[in-house]
Amino acid sequence: MSFMHGNSLVRNLSLSYKMSTCFTFLRHFVKRSVVPFVLRKKGTGLYFTILHKHFSSRTPILFYPNKENVPPIEKIDLDEWKNTMKSSLQEERSSFTTSDDILTATREWIEMCRLLNREVPEHISDQDLKMIAECPSKKSKKKKLKYLYIKEMHKKAKKEKQEKKRAEMDEIEKQKQLGNAEESKNTELTNTFLLPLKNRAWKTEWDWRNAQAMIFGQPLVFDMAYENFMPERDLKNTVCQLLESEGANRKNIDPFHIYFCNLKVDGVYHKELIYRYKEKWDQLLLTTTEKSHVDIFPRERLIYLTADSPNVMTTFRHDKIYIIGSFVDKCSQPRISYANAKRLNIASERLPLDQYLQWEIGNKNLTLDQMMWILLTLKNTGDWEKALKFVPKRKHSGFHNISINSKNFVKDLQKNRLGIKKSFRKLSSNAKGWGTWWKDE
Amino acid sequence: MTLLLSFCRSLQMLWKNRLYQGSCPRNQTFSVLYSYFHFSKKEQRYFSLTLPFLQNNKATKLLISKAISSSKSGKNKSKQESSVSPHPLFSAGTAKKKSEVLGYKKDQQHSFPFSSPVLLPTKPLNSEEWDKVKENFEQKDIFENWMMAQMVKYNSSIDIAKSLLSWIARKNNGNVGYKLLIGYLTLCVSQRQTTEVIDVYEIMKTRYRTLEPEGYTLLIRGLIHSDQWRETLILLKDIKKIMSPSKKNYGDCIKGALLHQEVNLAWNLYLEMLNHRIIPNWETFQAFFDFAKGVKNNQFEGRLLDILLYLKHNQMYPTEPFAQSIKAWFESIPEKKWKGESVTIHKSGHCSACGRMLESIHLNSEEYEFLKQRVLKDVLDGGDQYRKTTPKEINRFVNFIKSCPPFDIVIDGLNITKMFPKIRESQTLLDVVSQITKQNLQVLVLGRRHMLNGSSRWQKNEMAAVQNMAYCFFADNVSEDDAFLLYATLHSGNHCRFLTRDLMRDHKACLPDDKTRHLFFRWQQGHQLVFLNYYPGKKIIFQSVLTYDTVVQTTGDSWHIPYDENMVERYSYEIPTKWLCLQQQN
Repeated sequence: MSFMHGNSLVRNLSLSYKMSTCFTFLRHFVKRSVVPFVLRKKGTGLYFTILHKHFSSRTPILFYPNKENVPPIEKIDLDEWKNTMKSSLQEERSSFTTSDDILTATREWIEMCRLLNREVPEHISDQDLKMIAECPSKKSKKKKLKYLYIKEMHKKAKKEKQEKKRAEMDEIEKQKQLGNAEESKNTELTNTFLLPLKNRAWKTEWDWRNAQAMIFGQPLVFDMAYENFMPERDLKNTVCQLLESEGANRKNIDPFHIYFCNLKVDGVYHKELIYRYKEKWDQLLLTTTEKSHVDIFPRERLIYLTADSPNVMTTFRHDKIYIIGSFVDKCSQPRISYANAKRLNIASERLPLDQYLQWEIGNKNLTLDQMMWILLTLKNTGDWEKALKFVPKRKHSGFHNISINSKNFVKDLQKNRLGIKKSFRKLSSNAKGWGTWWKDE
Repeated sequence: MTLLLSFCRSLQMLWKNRLYQGSCPRNQTFSVLYSYFHFSKKEQRYFSLTLPFLQNNKATKLLISKAISSSKSGKNKSKQESSVSPHPLFSAGTAKKKSEVLGYKKDQQHSFPFSSPVLLPTKPLNSEEWDKVKENFEQKDIFENWMMAQMVKYNSSIDIAKSLLSWIARKNNGNVGYKLLIGYLTLCVSQRQTTEVIDVYEIMKTRYRTLEPEGYTLLIRGLIHSDQWRETLILLKDIKKIMSPSKKNYGDCIKGALLHQEVNLAWNLYLEMLNHRIIPNWETFQAFFDFAKGVKNNQFEGRLLDILLYLKHNQMYPTEPFAQSIKAWFESIPEKKWKGESVTIHKSGHCSACGRMLESIHLNSEEYEFLKQRVLKDVLDGGDQYRKTTPKEINRFVNFIKSCPPFDIVIDGLNITKMFPKIRESQTLLDVVSQITKQNLQVLVLGRRHMLNGSSRWQKNEMAAVQNMAYCFFADNVSEDDAFLLYATLHSGNHCRFLTRDLMRDHKACLPDDKTRHLFFRWQQGHQLVFLNYYPGKKIIFQSVLTYDTVVQTTGDSWHIPYDENMVERYSYEIPTKWLCLQQQN
């Protein structure tokens, strides 16, 4: 039945289309209508789809030839929604009435964007709104809005987390009160010879170590001369990183003595640091100075750490003073810190990233806190592999295998050194009994 | 051959259309199980498998046809063909070819991402059916928006979308969300359902006090074909209250005005656009030329020539369809008898069709002096001399240049030797330098200090020979030698060329404004020498520098317009090789 029907259609078509194309069409049509689940060959499928494209505009009925199989189309009122939408209107308007005031218009625009589930914040302050209205391009507006949106989401998530925690605490409190009588016996202080370590104790310990570092420790200089090279957002990022690295250093077992050099009083950096640290700023155990590092330390002891340097750092030197430029550069102004090192005639070094890591993507600039972790680990262990674990994993695909060889190489070196020592010992024992000279007395 | 070719092309166009259309509603209506659904994913995979094959097929066919045409005309044209061989650095498509050789084929992988299987209805559904569909869907809360998005993606029939909206309206007391309306509007606009667009416009007008640019853009695009096209200007004004309208918005309004014969309005919109420094789309330019084809209007003719001059001043190169429109318009001017032809330009700067000489690429003395100062100030110095070099070194270099006679060729020693990793560096350098000095040319070789230290790659005796034959300047190992190269070349005068494969894009970017950058690029095209391949001991053949400027140009009774070919992907720093030559016949 279906075949017959298709055939008659094809006959109609053949009037207006070439025989050859129709033949293939016929072949295919028959195949499809008789065996609907047959797997199509590539070539025939290709023909069919093309023809379908050709015909679909002209003969829509063609594809519902089998009216007995397809359920009859119910009459659906397709324009019903329009009528209901129009009928439920509150007011008639001839055109849109966007406000002429740019701030109101921007606010309305943001509201509409939210209806489209775009990334815009729910609440927006007047100051931010003004900033958005003043952005020159659509893209910059969207960027700013996205930034505010993400900030708002973070805030929300934090609040939720806090509330959840509070609820949990309340629950525990309640249970405690309920089972008060029974638990009172269990919660009695147990007798132990170990003193509990409280936060305050930790802090005293850290302060002690830092105070020691300030007298005897190795200095580490943060060069704060770059405040004019960065936009405000990057500067804030830099201060964040500084805070983090200071924290890491404070809690380390053998901290550096941190210097903030070139820190202008009432400069942007100074203000931002005080804003972040608040009253703790004056209690920090580090040195801040307006002087340059060149004026404080002997030039030959200074080493500027910069990614653009041609010299590779091989070992961590405990007698040198390393300088890190506190500069967040999104790679738009290369070689700035290296130019500084050249200008001041200071030695410069870069981390041996290529030597140890299979570098894949990204630039070789690291954040300040990563630098701090790497330097601290190097200082304490002298192990490059341990230290370079702080390089973000996304930037590389693991350590070189060569590093095993280099380890062996280092071992060989150490062996040789031991050998030298031994021979020296032999020599000296020949001259006089080594280790037993005091026994003679 | 041509038949086959055109068939192939139409095949591919159909194929593409189909792909964007995505759904083929009636294809699988025979299937009992999915009486009103089909698998888009399966289909897509099917397409994505076949499409590259087809494209390749087409590309190879084209190549073959080109090869045939060139071999046909090879006998009489062989000389010309060799003389118009594309420039190895700046001709359109070079960078793309290079990236293909190097094996970057990323965009192919990302062209058809597979998402989860999509079930789309192929005919309008009633409420019960929609309920059923929603039941089977996992994330109930996003179902409506998701469904609409899929319909937009696969360009379903608007009747189906209408049935979806009806179902939603019935559920929500006659309310349809803004996002759904926008989705529906997108469908209507892409299928040119003007009456539907007007309906949606009426609804939106009364529902919302204001829209956002996306909605406005869709409405403008939809309304220009209707009688209410003047409303688009009001919408454009509404956008201006929030932000500056995009080139798309302006372009659509201009198209609308031209469709309704409002020439002056269109032209004013165009001027307004340029005032806001928005660069019009090619479609907008093309709309002007297409419109002018049948219209006799002297004033408008002048305006179109203004457009061409705008292209000239901004170094813009038309696309192939636009070039065709330009040609068609010129040929449609009745009494002037223009004739257009697609040509290539002879190496010497002569048009291969009309034989006219094109504008020279060389800068005049004023421009030259200006560029020289800029390069010294912005490229070599760059605000902080320590960033690329040191002040001491700059002094040393300037004194060195002063002590030497003007050079004829400046060579970037490191760049040319690193091009051939299999050959010893110092050997390449010596060979190149000795071949050039044989022609009695003053040569300066720039390098870095480490070249003198002596190693297996840089042999001391060969370097000493180089130093005997040519002037040499060795910068510090950490300095950038390119900046020195540019300055030395500019200082030696207009006849001096430089030899490197570096595109100098980073140095061009140091220059402050577009005008200076274009001057630099013009100078670079006219002075940069390249050699393609090198075998030790053989004679080196240099690619000649360009002598003509690649911009739209006119002599009054002729126009020469460089344009982008359809199949060629041109990078921003490249220039097209195809030209449209228009000349008046007397």
